[in-house]
Amino acid sequence: MGVVCVFACPVPEGKSGQQVVDGLQKQVEMMGATKSGNFLVDCETYQSNPQNVTQTPQQCVVNILHNSEHPASCFSVTESGQILVSDLLFEDLMSKLTMAKAGRESFYSQRKGFKIESRGQRYEVGDFIIKIGSVSLASNFRGILIEVEYCPCVILNECWNMMKELLQSMVGNSAETPPPVLKHKPDTVYTPSDTILQYLDHFNNFRKAVSAPPPSR
Amino acid sequence: MDPSMVQQTFKAAPLTTEFFLQGSVMENSLETLVNRLKGLCDNADYQQESFQDHEMVFHIKNTSVPTPLVFRVRHSLVQTECWSLRYLGHAEVGDKNRPTLVRSYIDCPTSENVAQFIGELGFRMDHEFVVKGFYFHKGRMKITVSKFYKMNQPGNTTNDTIETVCPSYLVELSVVTSSGQEAVGDDMKNFAEQLKPLVTLEKTDHRKIQLAQT
Repeated sequence: MGVVCVFACPVPEGKSGQQVVDGLQKQVEMMGATKSGNFLVDCETYQSNPQNVTQTPQQCVVNILHNSEHPASCFSVTESGQILVSDLLFEDLMSKLTMAKAGRESFYSQRKGFKIESRGQRYEVGDFIIKIGSVSLASNFRGILIEVEYCPCVILNECWNMMKELLQSMVGNSAETPPPVLKHKPDTVYTPSDTILQYLDHFNNFRKAVSAPPPSR
Repeated sequence: MDPSMVQQTFKAAPLTTEFFLQGSVMENSLETLVNRLKGLCDNADYQQESFQDHEMVFHIKNTSVPTPLVFRVRHSLVQTECWSLRYLGHAEVGDKNRPTLVRSYIDCPTSENVAQFIGELGFRMDHEFVVKGFYFHKGRMKITVSKFYKMNQPGNTTNDTIETVCPSYLVELSVVTSSGQEAVGDDMKNFAEQLKPLVTLEKTDHRKIQLAQT
């Protein structure tokens, strides 16, 4: 486990998402990267039914994410950014909150059409792990996310310049500065939760952009 | 193992059903019982494992039905990095042929911010207590012998601020497994027989206790 940076890769007009993904895959293979399986990061969203939860009048939103890099864990994030790392059993606890029982309406319900995921090929090259993921929201293609992990280091500031070089060759100038989610902790130990917060940030952006017409496939 | 395989195995057979029997002993019989358990259980060669947990009980309430949904946050006072979030269903007594009580049981290890997290979900703390005791296992059966303490200062679990609720120890024999594994009840019944007459483990009807209190 090292430092991970996730960036969105723009899809230029006139090109399909698949073409861009193919191009990126060719590029990392040229670097000498070897394929090491597939990866998946997924996110489902639940919202409280404020009329049912007496203690909190305003609506609460919880995002539940999984990362195939940590297959036995479940990450839950509230709107304030509080992140709970737990066993997969947390989903069973969540189902207690979404279940209507004995005349009681459910406390939470799942937001329909909000399931979003990034899946694709995982590569290894030297000390780096590179993942090229296609993002789909309710099965519709929305964009491309590139994840680069530098394994031997856990402090962002100490390896950012090296990561920047690799990232810029793939996503261009958007990798000029570290991901916004990591800005407040350049010198602290990186944790898997930070990866999840980066993905969630991107997922929220993709969801916001949903009103715009989707890029052609 | 392939990551998707891990998730699938996990989801196929979630261990969320607890078969259990309960009993109690007075403080002066504790030593005899613990010695007997040491002899019967798997961890006989080692010193018995003890535990000290702080449990916080959280309620989430609904306007339509007054009974709250209850989640429990457990925090080990010995290994302070261990936190878990639990859900315990109602204990079902079932018919006479069923050897044990059954309830749904979800015990999910979490990071240390679990209390704040469920607070944001809308849960509020109802009460808290400290439980101390010993832990044994035999195969997949777990035996706990534990004593409950009430906390005189909210949030303070130090020894000089807690006092015992009653002088007896609760003895629980339990197996957590996937639903439908009724056969495990017979093993438990046999094991409970071996502990007689030091302690009688039986199907305690929780509803009767609640009725007696009101």
